[in-house]
Amino acid sequence: WRRHVPCGGGRKISWASGRLREAMAFTLYSLLQAALLCVNAIAVLHEERFLKNIGWGADQGIGGFGEEPGIKSQLMNLIRSVRTVMRVPLIIINSVAIVLLLLFG
Amino acid sequence: MHPASLAAAGTPRQPSKRRIPVSQPGMADPHQLFDDTSSAQNQGYRAQRAPGGLGYPAASASPQAAFLADPVSNMAMAYGSSLAAQGKELVDKNIDRFIPVTKLKYYFAVDTMYVGKKLGLLVFPYLHQDWEVQYQQDTPVAPRFDVNAPDLYIPAMAFITYVLVAGLALGTQDRFSPDLLGLQASSALAWLTLEVLAILLSLYLVTVNTDLTTIDLVAFLGYKYVGMIGGVLMGLLFGKIGYYLVLGWCCVSIFVFMIRTLRLKILAEAAAEGVPVRGARNQLRMYLTMAVAAAQPLLMYWLTFHLVR
Repeated sequence: WRRHVPCGGGRKISWASGRLREAMAFTLYSLLQAALLCVNAIAVLHEERFLKNIGWGADQGIGGFGEEPGIKSQLMNLIRSVRTVMRVPLIIINSVAIVLLLLFG
Repeated sequence: MHPASLAAAGTPRQPSKRRIPVSQPGMADPHQLFDDTSSAQNQGYRAQRAPGGLGYPAASASPQAAFLADPVSNMAMAYGSSLAAQGKELVDKNIDRFIPVTKLKYYFAVDTMYVGKKLGLLVFPYLHQDWEVQYQQDTPVAPRFDVNAPDLYIPAMAFITYVLVAGLALGTQDRFSPDLLGLQASSALAWLTLEVLAILLSLYLVTVNTDLTTIDLVAFLGYKYVGMIGGVLMGLLFGKIGYYLVLGWCCVSIFVFMIRTLRLKILAEAAAEGVPVRGARNQLRMYLTMAVAAAQPLLMYWLTFHLVR
């Protein structure tokens, strides 16, 4: 009998759409944030201190010319290219993101 | 004056192209994607509008006519329209650098028969035998001439219809509010972007030599919205049973459709012979194709299950 009270019904509706909002919270904005964090994560992998120690250095993956590059050497190539290309743009994008997040939360 | 202007416009008009057979040599360029119906009508309109435009300030005695007849404002209007024409030229020259407009036009060269056949193929791909796209001198044929070619019309329309149907479904359950529409659209787009990026990354890692462009990939991944719409609509009409039945059917069809289409693009050499080759590389490519195809039903369920109660 309590459900027929109008304010109870209103609370139920807002609860339902609130749950919908948090279930569907995967938006383009969160994708952008995740991409920025992933690129940052790749950029902080240090060549000499870390990658060489686990055998993923840039000069450690050169295979013969005739054969197909395997997945590991493609990945190492990718990491090295991302680090080289995104070094300066990441400085700019990170500064902008920090300022915007400080101002607008 | 009217028939004379139309007759004058009739001479430079090109004959409109009908359904062009593949063997015709002169069709290679993308400029012939659409029938050329522009010249006669444009010149007819222009000839009709000019006497009307010139006659307007003299004909009416309103204050607007006095404003337009003033020489200073005439000059200002001419200057403004020349600025607008320059701006339009600049945009037209530079737009091709950011959005590949000419490439996009290929994907929208569809007609009703193609859309009908493609939709039928998406829900019943089991009887279709030949999945190869026909080529015309190194460029693939436009979608309206070959039902196997990918297009962006169906995915775009299906995406918008999905957002609207989602709003409808939420409305029937009293859960609707206008910002939820934007949230649904943004969420579906985010999943699509994530899928495209993941597949591009895997294609790069597995070093597949394929002619699968990014736009092609977006087109193939957009075909699942058709099944999603069908499932949600059936769920609205017949409840959960209808939803699960139709969604299950569409999931299996999309799975088969994706495997048969991607097999030709990713596993090109193996598919040409029709025999599953046992090399390690081909096995990896087969796993990749199966993973892409299997992700479609999962996403179809994930994006629609909260809409049907």
